[in-house]
Amino acid sequence: MLNKDVKIINVGIADIQGGQSPSVIRTTLGSCIGVVFYSPEKKVGAMAHIMLAKDPSGKDSSKNPHKYAETALPELVKRMTELGCSKGEYFARLFGGASMFKGMNSSFLQNIGDLNVNVAKEFLDKEKITLLVEDVGGHEGRTISLYLDDGRILLKKGGFEKYLYKVR
Amino acid sequence: MKEKIDQLFENEAQLPKISSVVSKVMEMVGKPDVVIADLAKEISKDPGLTAAVIKLSNSAYFRPAKPVKTVQESLMTLGIKTVKEIILLNETKGILKKELKGYQVDGEANWMHSLIVAELAKRIAVQKKLKVDKDVVFTAGLLHNIGKVILADFFPTVLMQFRTELQSYQGPYTDLEAKFFGYTHQETGAKLLEKWNFPQELVEVARYYSEPEKATQFPELVSIIHIANCIVLLGGMGIDIGGLKIPLSPKALQNIGVTEGDLQMYYTLLPEMVKHIEELISV
Repeated sequence: MLNKDVKIINVGIADIQGGQSPSVIRTTLGSCIGVVFYSPEKKVGAMAHIMLAKDPSGKDSSKNPHKYAETALPELVKRMTELGCSKGEYFARLFGGASMFKGMNSSFLQNIGDLNVNVAKEFLDKEKITLLVEDVGGHEGRTISLYLDDGRILLKKGGFEKYLYKVR
Repeated sequence: MKEKIDQLFENEAQLPKISSVVSKVMEMVGKPDVVIADLAKEISKDPGLTAAVIKLSNSAYFRPAKPVKTVQESLMTLGIKTVKEIILLNETKGILKKELKGYQVDGEANWMHSLIVAELAKRIAVQKKLKVDKDVVFTAGLLHNIGKVILADFFPTVLMQFRTELQSYQGPYTDLEAKFFGYTHQETGAKLLEKWNFPQELVEVARYYSEPEKATQFPELVSIIHIANCIVLLGGMGIDIGGLKIPLSPKALQNIGVTEGDLQMYYTLLPEMVKHIEELISV
């Protein structure tokens, strides 16, 4: 149950937000991915809502870095640093990347989700940030809420909801 | 369930309503010989509506050249059709900004979804240089899924079973609505707009926006809204219990000549459109 005093921080599309206990950070994802970093020791975390793996034009990412994984993920790391966490203190979880256009002739739209997931995983691998939990792909949209008091995530998908407690 | 929904439409008392001033304005702007002074007079009968028109006309979204102080000035500066758009926006806010509990969509998200679909649809119409009225496109986008507001009230009693069946269900999501409620939300929305005496274009969009192949009278308009809705859902805005189970119709793309590159652009534009719409609703 949510206490009235708990602040809900909404993460918009192509947006990054961070916060500390007892706030809750929330977003809704379709093909976009939600990358979540959380430090169980310091009870702080941040979330990125990323639309695309790379900037197709090459011109937009300097103006809108949070749209694209290649520019948003370094920003997310920076946000954790600003929140007082160095690498090794926080762990990652990954959500979203659904696809809706099976069987149609748009390789772009069909693959957005998968590409997003792949690029995010490559980044985590390269930066040695441990990926603890993922719920990606399929045809369902997802709403995720990160409870910063203990790091649990409420995942809502296709009419069902469940808590994910693994934080380290 | 079907009988209950039929009863609702017979009784009307519990259906979402629009004010008599708004119906009158809708009727007046539909005529070719509408006089601005008459329209201003009609709108001014409703003080709340008058205030809203002036306030919204001055928003960053519409950017009037100089501040608008009266309804008459608003009609002259922005044009009759834009003011109609403003009036409908104001009127439907209370109806669309409602939590769709069974669908798992909160009020703010539903309202934002409707507005972004409206905005993207308008941009598609402009970019593809289609011969459809841009303001009708906006309104059609705004009202496309209004039927959900009604079906949401009937959800609680069927929810558990609905969810269980949804897990293993492979067919179109709206078939499940038809099975559980006797109507799809599209049929329900179309019925409501007919009750309101809204133009046939809007009724057809509500009825067929997720199956644009079936549109017979206004296939272009229905296709625009279909595509806009799919793109906005893809961006996560207004995703409901059905997830992303509405497939994007190749026929709709063909109807208005939308290419792969266009789809990519529409999707990439979403954050910018959200900012634009936030300017509209922040007033």
